[in-house]
Amino acid sequence: MSKKSLVVEHLKRAQMLDVLTKGVRLDGRGLLDYRPITIETGIIEKANGSAKVRIGNTEVIAGVKVQTGAPFEDTPDQGLLIVTAEVLPLASAYAEPGPPNEDAIELARVADRGIRESGVVDLKELCLVKGKNVLAVFIDVSVLNVDGNLFDAVSYAAVAALLSSTMPKYEVTAEGVKDTGKTIPLPVKLTPISITMVLIGNTIIVDPTLDEESVMTARITIASADKNTICAGQKGNPGGFTEEQVMLAIDTAISKGEEIRKMLKKSVGHGKKQK
Amino acid sequence: MSKSSITKLLDAKGVRHDGRKFNELRPVTMKVGVLENADGSAYIEFGKNKIMAAVYGPREVHPKHMSVPDRSVLRCRYHMTPFSTDTRKNPAPSRREIEISKVIREGLEPALILTDYPRTAIEVYLEVLQSDGGSRCASITAASLALADAGINMRDLVVGCAAGKIEGRVVVDLDDVEDKEGEGDMPMAILPNLGQVTLLQLDGRFSRKEFDEAFKLAKDGCMKVYDIQRKALMEKYFGAEETGEQ
Amino acid sequence: MKGDIAMVDVTRKYVIPGELVSEGKYKNSLNVFRVEDKYYSTRVGMAEITPDSVRVIPLTGPYIPRVDDLVVGKIVDYSAFAWEVDINSCFYAYLPAQNVFGRDYSPARNELTQKFAVGDLIAAKVMAFDRTRDPLLSLSGPGLGKIRQGEVVKISPTKVPRVIGKKGSMIRAVEMGTNCRLTVAQNGLIVISGPTEGIIKAISALRLIEKEAHVADLTQKVQTLLSVKVDEKSESESDGEQEE
Repeated sequence: MSKKSLVVEHLKRAQMLDVLTKGVRLDGRGLLDYRPITIETGIIEKANGSAKVRIGNTEVIAGVKVQTGAPFEDTPDQGLLIVTAEVLPLASAYAEPGPPNEDAIELARVADRGIRESGVVDLKELCLVKGKNVLAVFIDVSVLNVDGNLFDAVSYAAVAALLSSTMPKYEVTAEGVKDTGKTIPLPVKLTPISITMVLIGNTIIVDPTLDEESVMTARITIASADKNTICAGQKGNPGGFTEEQVMLAIDTAISKGEEIRKMLKKSVGHGKKQK
Repeated sequence: MSKSSITKLLDAKGVRHDGRKFNELRPVTMKVGVLENADGSAYIEFGKNKIMAAVYGPREVHPKHMSVPDRSVLRCRYHMTPFSTDTRKNPAPSRREIEISKVIREGLEPALILTDYPRTAIEVYLEVLQSDGGSRCASITAASLALADAGINMRDLVVGCAAGKIEGRVVVDLDDVEDKEGEGDMPMAILPNLGQVTLLQLDGRFSRKEFDEAFKLAKDGCMKVYDIQRKALMEKYFGAEETGEQ
Repeated sequence: MKGDIAMVDVTRKYVIPGELVSEGKYKNSLNVFRVEDKYYSTRVGMAEITPDSVRVIPLTGPYIPRVDDLVVGKIVDYSAFAWEVDINSCFYAYLPAQNVFGRDYSPARNELTQKFAVGDLIAAKVMAFDRTRDPLLSLSGPGLGKIRQGEVVKISPTKVPRVIGKKGSMIRAVEMGTNCRLTVAQNGLIVISGPTEGIIKAISALRLIEKEAHVADLTQKVQTLLSVKVDEKSESESDGEQEE
């Protein structure tokens, strides 16, 4: 899409800066408030696990598929975990069909790091025959509607889909690997949560809307594995943070992350019972 | 996958593997206006199919040299999410998806008055979140709802339904299993008020008589789906209770 | 509009594209598609059938510019001779530099960015448009030019007549109930200026009008929401096209 469509109204920018100095936002939220988050799981029967997440008007859907495959040569005793993310052309007037652009690739890679690097799934438990047969867990996330903070929406959907996912139980016999037709839960160890913050003027806010992202100078996403451990980070956009701002971002990511982790676990548990 | 578990697609009494009669559709629900950013949108569940449709436009054509001086350019993309199928699907568009995109576009075009929007583009995006048999018919039905929701001038809605052949018998609306194991499939889409056929594909073997039967079943199926489609659109704009004259 | 004469026999019904609106011979028609004597709707909306006309007032659809429309647009680009303006339509509009600097405009002497920069909002009139060329804008007229303050709200362009109301009755009700001034542009952009609480109330009133545009006693509902009373009892259930 032409860059003409991305021009920000001066009036909007001025209003946004004006209210932020007063500690509130144009939609009435406080600086560290998320928009309402809803999480539904078990919506795609053909997937092993699935989740739809809404943060305000941002909407994403994630599906987990577990299949057999061959391990990587350097990790013969480990299964595979692959996260992809795609901004579908139906999600925004500015998304285009075709191969993913650099923003979409960054989105997918940040989500992938936040999940894989945290050790969310014990990959050794996904090994069937060392060096030969392992389970591959694909988490594919599709963005359905864009209104800012795709990083967190993609991350929550991926984690919620994983938590609600099962995997087929395989038997290793002399003839090879056999599907028993039974399913067992996926060995999920942790609930990594990403928190995205942006800098507008001198103010740091969480969970930016598309309007807020259009005037931000810099963005930072920090994922935490639990209340003591951070497991992924990504600074984005052409602008910088001071050292104090980085520290504040880390603290916020941990405290806010704990809050959202509880909420996410609760809604996934709820989804399971309904099934 | 589950092939071995199904012995017969049709039992002695003519009941299908999922309990349907030969002329019975799977459950169908539709909702209009489901995506915030799109100019028009709709969601359809047709059996296990779960499909999202969005329309953007009419808007400037990119690249500009693709624009046509006297009409709008209609574009259509049918795409399946990787988790929509039994075995994970590669996210890159397959030849099958590209062909379906084309037949859906050509099935929608007769319904649209494209000359009302010269030098613009109208883009239709279909995303299959879960696939089942008959996803192109469900897609074109949802696409025409999204186009009406976008307020683009249309001669008629477009509605799709397939007929097929299982165990030597012509039936309406094949699901995944029937499609894979049956002897023939004939997806069709029509303009329900103007009575035109705008999408027709056929694979398998049909005698002349069987074709007539299949055509009639698909057409009747389309009219049943049209009823649900019409109600979904009325509900979005006029509320559930107001569907007739004032 | 002469359709407003009280005795004219009007039949109304809700329609969707492809639905038969009426059969017969009509002199005037709008948003319908004719096959012989049959008139089918091309849009979702309210059909109005009188003895000599059949038309559908759409409830959704893009903004198609018409000459003399008031529009609110955003400057998105400029060249040596014109600004390019996003007017919420399928076409970008052009505001010629001559219209702003006068007939003796010269790109050597006058700098376009002195007047409007990319990102500025303007209120303008559509000077020319015929679908074969991009719309041309003009700022000659009272109240036109750069918008310096206020909240800009976007509604569906097809609901603009409803927001204006019969002879401006709806706008008046909203302005009275909120102490705000509303500039309602035909392209669906509305500039609200006034006290903050008023702006919030005005936005909720606009959202109500947008959601229930097909409902007959809408002005009543809006008056109740804003607790105001407009004494004109001539409130009609029709939302025919009003001029400002």
